[in-house]
Amino acid sequence: MLSHQNASNNWDDAANLSSNPPALLELLDVKRQFTLGQVTVQALRGISVQIVRGESVAVWGPSGSGKSTLMNLLGLIDVPDAGQIRFDGENVNQYTDDRLADFRNRKIGFIFQSFNLIPVLNALENVMLPLQVQGVPDGQARERAMEWLDQVGLEKFATFRPDRLSGGQRQRTAIARALVIDPMLIIADEPTANLDSENSHSVIELIRSMNQLTGVTCVFSTHDPRLLDQVPRHLLLKDGQILEDRRVEAVQ
Amino acid sequence: MNFTIFGLRNLLRNYRRSLITVLSIAIGFAAISLFAGYAQTTYRGLSEQAVYGELLGHLTITKHGLINEGRLHPEQYLMTYNEIEQIAKVVRKNVSDAYVAPRLGINGLLSNGHVSTIFLAEGIAPSDMEVLRGPRRNASGGLSADTQSGVTVARGLAEMLGLKEGSDASLLVSTLHGQANAIDVTITDTFSTGNAGMEDKFMFVPLALVQSLFDAQGRADRITVLLPDVTQTEAVRMQLVTQLKAAGFDLEINTWEELSVFYRQVKSMFDMIFGFLLAIVVSIIVMSITNAMTMSVIERTREIGTLRAIGVHRSSVVRLFATEALLMVMLGCLAGLTLTLLVRFGINAADITYQPPNSTDKVPLLIGFDFTKAIASAVLLSLLSITAAILPAQRAASRPIIDALGHV
Repeated sequence: MLSHQNASNNWDDAANLSSNPPALLELLDVKRQFTLGQVTVQALRGISVQIVRGESVAVWGPSGSGKSTLMNLLGLIDVPDAGQIRFDGENVNQYTDDRLADFRNRKIGFIFQSFNLIPVLNALENVMLPLQVQGVPDGQARERAMEWLDQVGLEKFATFRPDRLSGGQRQRTAIARALVIDPMLIIADEPTANLDSENSHSVIELIRSMNQLTGVTCVFSTHDPRLLDQVPRHLLLKDGQILEDRRVEAVQ
Repeated sequence: MNFTIFGLRNLLRNYRRSLITVLSIAIGFAAISLFAGYAQTTYRGLSEQAVYGELLGHLTITKHGLINEGRLHPEQYLMTYNEIEQIAKVVRKNVSDAYVAPRLGINGLLSNGHVSTIFLAEGIAPSDMEVLRGPRRNASGGLSADTQSGVTVARGLAEMLGLKEGSDASLLVSTLHGQANAIDVTITDTFSTGNAGMEDKFMFVPLALVQSLFDAQGRADRITVLLPDVTQTEAVRMQLVTQLKAAGFDLEINTWEELSVFYRQVKSMFDMIFGFLLAIVVSIIVMSITNAMTMSVIERTREIGTLRAIGVHRSSVVRLFATEALLMVMLGCLAGLTLTLLVRFGINAADITYQPPNSTDKVPLLIGFDFTKAIASAVLLSLLSITAAILPAQRAASRPIIDALGHV
């Protein structure tokens, strides 16, 4: 396991609650390739990495380095061609599609670059959706979703559909949707890429405070130096391999 | 996740496309329902014409072979008075409310004293005729019990011989034993047969007169049975076949549908047209829904990826699109039903008449409502539409999530 080198910032605190925090995610020699026409692209060339509970990790690197592929595998929305993925101690490689869907629904929250809210549902209904998929009764789901909208400062926009929300508000709604299930892991794929600097800052602060509040493990992919500055562990990818796994002192 | 609300909102999302699809379903459904309604009214009219107009009743009992060999050896196929009584007893034992009427058909020449022409006549007792005519008992052409030699003739036949109500005429026939026999009759009424082929040769004659003329006192070539309810026809026929056989009779029992060739021909033609129309309309509707759902699935591929990422099963994605297709069909059928009722009301109120082929009179254009066919069409459309939605939805739901999320 890659240990923490710095415990001086809040994002590290959650990961340091115990002296030997258990690994939430383990990737063992994971490989993934894609065929584009007649060309086969090695997107990941045997990656092994561990991410512990409560940790915040930024995955970064140049375009085509394999960031998105790694994020997809960590979020269990893609399967490796070789290697093993263990999530919370379970080997998820052999899971059926439905079991993986249930697993994601209960344990993983997604924050997408383009927000990916359901356009016909209002903010509250979007946040309720993962709970309804779990089968949580509507009243209870509504209550929990409203609490999270309140947490992200959107309680007054609960009845607004995505097309009436600003980019920042949409991403906050997406964050509430990701957190409402009380996940073990948040996968955020370039969460600030489509936001202006003010909204980016606000979203980064929000994710950071949620991490502190809930102790949820967060994995980001980003190019945004402002986000990188806030995250204590950086995985630098190049040509489908981890070039550097670095602990940094995050900016407070 | 409430699929119905989710589905309805998705339909409203691209309301123009949904509206066009719903309208195409509505118009198609209305076309099917209106034609089925028209056919139903036509069948009803033709069946009434056969049962009460042609006096076929619901069942006709004859000796085996009468239809093919009756003309060659009439005596062999006539039922005696005792046989008629026994058969009537068996019928009434089965259906106490059944009406039993003996009949005897003859043919020969009808003369006005100057010229003659062939005729086909039905011998029936005036009181039996009144009952067998059912709702048409007050229409023209009924025999009168008061005039023993009174006959009624088809208008075409009357016109051919210049006969009117009160005119005298003579009937010349060959008796049961092959001898010529003639009798004077009085025309009491004229009527329309409704059938162009019979209009210039058909007439009704009192049974007693026919029996006398044919030298077959107390005898009949068939027994007509009128049941209280037409739906009993087949069941009663089955019972009677067994019981009459057990009673020692070798008889043939035909339903009115079997005997009314015209009804069967028209029904067969209308059924074929209905099947053809149904196939065309259903094909158009299914293509319209397939197009709408395929477009919708393509446009929402990224959304499907998001739903799958947050844990929605493939089957639920497919169910969502199937629900949308079903909602469109239900809305379309509902709109189609409204359209059907409006058009039906308009046509029925417009008092339109037309002359059908082989008919002597104009008939009103009336549209009924065939509930069974309307429901069957709606169910068929629903099933096909769900299938049309499932195929593209299944393709999209089976796509890898990362591909769906990356779809532009």
